[in-house]
Formats: sequence, structure tokens, C-alpha cells
Amino acid sequence: MSSLGARHSGGASFVWHTEDRAAGVARPQRRLSGVTTSASLDLLRRLFRTRFGGIGLVILVAISILSIFAPWFASSGPMELGAESMQPPSWAHPLGTDSLGRDVRSVILYAGRSSLLIGFSAAAMAFLIGGTIGALAGYFRGAVAVVLLRVTDLFHTLPAIIIVLFSVALVGSSFWLLVAAVALAIWPIEARLVYGQFIALSEREFVLAARAAGLSTSHIIFLEILPNALPTVTVQVSLDASAAILIEAGLGFLGLSDPTEPSWGEMLNRGQQFLELAWWMSVFPGMAICIAVLGFNLFADGLTEMFNPRASAKAPKLQS
Amino acid sequence: MLRHTAKHLAQAILVLLGVVVLIFCLLQSIPGDPIQAMVGDMPVPPALRAALEERFGLNEPFFSRLYRYLANVLQGDLGYSMNYRRPVFDILAERFPRTLLLAGTGYSLGIVIGIAIGIHSAITPHRGVDQAWSSLVLIGYAMPTFWVGQLLVMLFAIQLGWLPTQGMGPMISRATGFDWVLERATYLALPVATYTILEATRVARFMRASVAETLEQGYIVTARQKGLSRREIIMGHVVRNSILPVITVMGYSFGTAMGGAVLLETVFSYPGVGSLMVESVRARDTQAIVGVVILIACSVVVMNIVVDLLYAWLDPRIRVSSSQG
Repeated sequence: MSSLGARHSGGASFVWHTEDRAAGVARPQRRLSGVTTSASLDLLRRLFRTRFGGIGLVILVAISILSIFAPWFASSGPMELGAESMQPPSWAHPLGTDSLGRDVRSVILYAGRSSLLIGFSAAAMAFLIGGTIGALAGYFRGAVAVVLLRVTDLFHTLPAIIIVLFSVALVGSSFWLLVAAVALAIWPIEARLVYGQFIALSEREFVLAARAAGLSTSHIIFLEILPNALPTVTVQVSLDASAAILIEAGLGFLGLSDPTEPSWGEMLNRGQQFLELAWWMSVFPGMAICIAVLGFNLFADGLTEMFNPRASAKAPKLQS
Repeated sequence: MLRHTAKHLAQAILVLLGVVVLIFCLLQSIPGDPIQAMVGDMPVPPALRAALEERFGLNEPFFSRLYRYLANVLQGDLGYSMNYRRPVFDILAERFPRTLLLAGTGYSLGIVIGIAIGIHSAITPHRGVDQAWSSLVLIGYAMPTFWVGQLLVMLFAIQLGWLPTQGMGPMISRATGFDWVLERATYLALPVATYTILEATRVARFMRASVAETLEQGYIVTARQKGLSRREIIMGHVVRNSILPVITVMGYSFGTAMGGAVLLETVFSYPGVGSLMVESVRARDTQAIVGVVILIACSVVVMNIVVDLLYAWLDPRIRVSSSQG
């Protein structure tokens, strides 16, 4: 049994040693994640060695810090109407002011909070829904899988924004309802992915060994299979977060997101009426969305390359 | 081939039925009193309540209401829009061709351009060119649909003044024949360009990866050793084999394009089903919303069938294994 469970790892640090536990030998005292501090440092080092992973992580950390500590970087609060309205960028207001006389830079920083929070929490929720359904379908197969996968297909038939609009129309758009609506729209991809991972992994020797050793179903699902599916799933969660930010932006643009929270999409909604008069009201919030989404996508790219170096290796060029 | 088609048609019909049932269940699960919603902010007299319940079958059991609903939808009765004071089916019949014109044109152009970019990016001997394309695609992939539309409006309509900002034609037009087409085309140019850019980045990303994988295959090495020219290898072997995986995602990405209509038609004030959806959500016009959702589900399912058939036609292995199974 050579390097079981290391399918996606390029090096030894990501081997989860599940086969030892399954066989009941030398159960190492570790946290559930199985990653020690030095191992996570090693992961970080490997991420920075990929083409884009490092940039992605830096972008994500930077925008998180900028929005969490928004008061330090902003010149005024998100709802302060002090300045003259629709001023072009200047020293006092580097990104201009909007139609209500707010400093665009300050609003962008504060709005980042709700946009990022929606991104992270919708992705987490999509992982919970999709992961559970995918895991159940992949583990039990048969009729259970058929039913669950058909339901997944139904949701997958409809474009995400349509599902979100539909649920907003039905139940309203307060912050957490919005998060739930976005999660409801993006979980099918997660479910498909986890299902595929479970199908692939549950035939592996360490799972068979765990079954033979008489370990419980929940032990096998959560402690044997799931940890080994994590690398692939993490990539998808990052992509989900970027999708969630884009969906929220769209909803805000339509004027249908939570009206009490400033968000990047809502800023673009306001800017739409003033495209001719104040380009800065639309250009800068859009850039903020673009950078955040790019951060998540690059991070996901980097993770893919790190976990699965072969797939992203440069293909040989066809020379004439 | 016939059997393959029949199988996919049957599956598609099941998916559509499922979507309608799903929508019905969601509608049933929302809190609130439908009769109160119908009457508005007024107390409902018991006699009126009883009459309405009787008329719409609201006090019948769940499955008989579901059956009634399915029967109505199958007959094309999608209800009545309170906002437009017209049957939903009529509004959709008027608006869907417009959306199809816009999204369909942008989608097809985007696929062709995206495939071209993907191939070029993967086979170019210059690393810089590949990196330039990849960066452009990465950025294009991260931009919100409607923001791209706004940027194009700011550049081409406001700054340069070449094209109109919104609508699908002038209010008053005396143009006829070819001039009429040309006049319309100026209105369609920006929204179609936005669709094209977005679809092209999606396809290019996929196509580049697919071509890169094809180039590693043994038959490419064989073809080179046979002495085929670079052109012959690319046109004869690489393109055909790399397009297959891209085609499989075309059905889903058509759905994304239809979803994009919601945002883009709002940016360009284009009277299609996307803007109908937004207006109906704002007006809480549930019947119209459900109509749009069912219509979009139908179009995605139809597109999936087209994609399946296209795939089977391009790759004979699929239809053989499918007819045997």
C-alpha cells in the first residue's frame, strides 16, 4: 500500500495517513485536519511556488484587511454625506464622490465587508449542502444516488442568477436570506464534484480496509474519504466564493440586494444613472469586484497546480 | 442514432417536469396567504374567500393542485400577469425572440472567437503571446457581465458617440429594407459585443486546456512523424478532438448566457425576457416570474439536447455505446 490517500499531493506533507488509522495501528495524536503548523507553513511555501497561487492569496488577504479595517483606510463613514456630490477624482477624494456626496473610496472599502462576507458564507453554505448531498450519493450509490443526482440536475438546469432572483422574489432579500439564496444557486457543482470524489475514493484500499475493520459509516465518510477529497473540494469552494461575489454584485446592480448594507453591486446600480456624468461612480466599484473575483480565481488556480501538478504543467509546444 | 435521440428526449422531458414540480413546491412553501395577496391590503370577506378558494382550487389536496398546475402549464397556460395585465404566455412569445436574437448571436460569436483564441493560445510558439491571452482571459473571466456592458457604453456610446446607449431601435424610424436592418444593428452592437466578450473568455479558458491536453496524445506524435505539416495536424487532428470537451459544457454555458440576459437587458434597457424577469421581481408579479423561469429551463434543456446530438454526431463512439446500452 504505497502512499495511499496522497492522490492529489505532490509531496509528503499532504498525506493523511488514513490507512494507519483504519488498520488501528499507531493512531497519531493529531488535530482532525491532520495538518500541523509546520505542515501548513510548507503548504504556504508550495502555494507561492505556483504560477498564480501566491498572487491570489496576497490579493485575498489585502482586500480582507482593507475592508475589515475600513475605518483606518477610509476618510469618512459609508453613510456620511459630507462632500460635494459627483466630484471627479482629486487629492481629497482619490476616487471621486458619488451622487449623494459620499467619498467613493470609503464606500468601496466598507462595501467590501458585505461583498466578501457573502462570498465566504455562501461558499461555505454551498459546500455544506452540496458536500452532504454529494457524499451521501457517492457513498450509498444505487437508488439514493439516482434521486439525489436528479435533484442536483434540476437545480443545475437553471442559471444561478435566475434561481437567486426567484428566491429573492419569494422570500425577500435580507442579508442572510441572500446568502442562502446564493448558496442554493451554486451548490449543484459542489455536489457533483464531491460525488465524483467519493466514487473514486471509496474503491481505494484504505476505505476497503476501514470497512473490513468494521469502522462506522460516519467514520468512513468523515475521517477516511472526506479528508482525501478536501484538496479538490477546496479549489471549488474558492471558485464558489468568486461566483457568489459576482451574483451578489448582479443582484445589487438590479437594486435587489439588502438595501441596508452598502455593496459593490449597489454602487454600480447608482452609477448606472450617471454613466455620462460620473464615470468614476461605475469604474472603481467594478474594479473592486474584478480584483476580488480575480483573487479567488487565482487562489483556486494556484491550489489546483499545487495539488495536481501534472494537470497544469505546460503542454509541449507544437513547433512547425 | 434514433434510439440515442429518443433516450435524450425522454430525459429532457423528465427534467422539465421536475423543474415545474420544483417551482410548484417552492411556491407552496412560501409563507403568506395567497388570497390576501390577490385582494391586496383589504380585509377579505369570508364569502369572497370561499369563492376564490373554490375557483382556484386552493382547498384541494396537494397532489390534485399539482396536477391542475401541470395540466395548465402543459397547455401553455402560464397564468396572468397582474403587472402587464396580459397573459404571461403572450408576453413571453413577444419578448423571447428578442432575447434569443441578442443572447444567441453573442453566444455563437463568443464560442467561435473563444475557440480561436484557445487554439492560438495553446499552439503559439511564443510564450509571451500565450501569457498575454491567458491574462486577458483571466481578467475577462473576473469581470461582472453588466460592468463590461457599462464600460462599453461609456467608451463607445458616451465618449466616442458611435453607437446608441440603449433600447432596441429608435422611437421613430422611417428607414426601410436594408437601412432598417442597419439601424437595428447599431442598437444591438454593444449588447452583442458584451455577450461575445464574456462567452469568448469562458470558452477560451476551456479550449486552451483541451488543446494542450490533445497535443500530448500519441496520435499527434504519430502525425508529426508521418510528416504532416503543422497546419494539417492542427486542422485535421487537434481542433476536432479538442472541441469535444468544449461542446459538452455548451449546454450549461447557454444557460449562463440566458441568465446573463437578466443583467445585460437591464443595462441596455432591452425589452427581452431578462428585463421582464427583473421588472416582475420588482413588481412582485409571481406568475410572470414563474413564466420566465420555466421558459429559461425549457431553452436550456432544448440546448442540452442539441449539444448531445452534436456530440454524438462528432464522436461516433458515443452513439454506438449508447445504442447498445
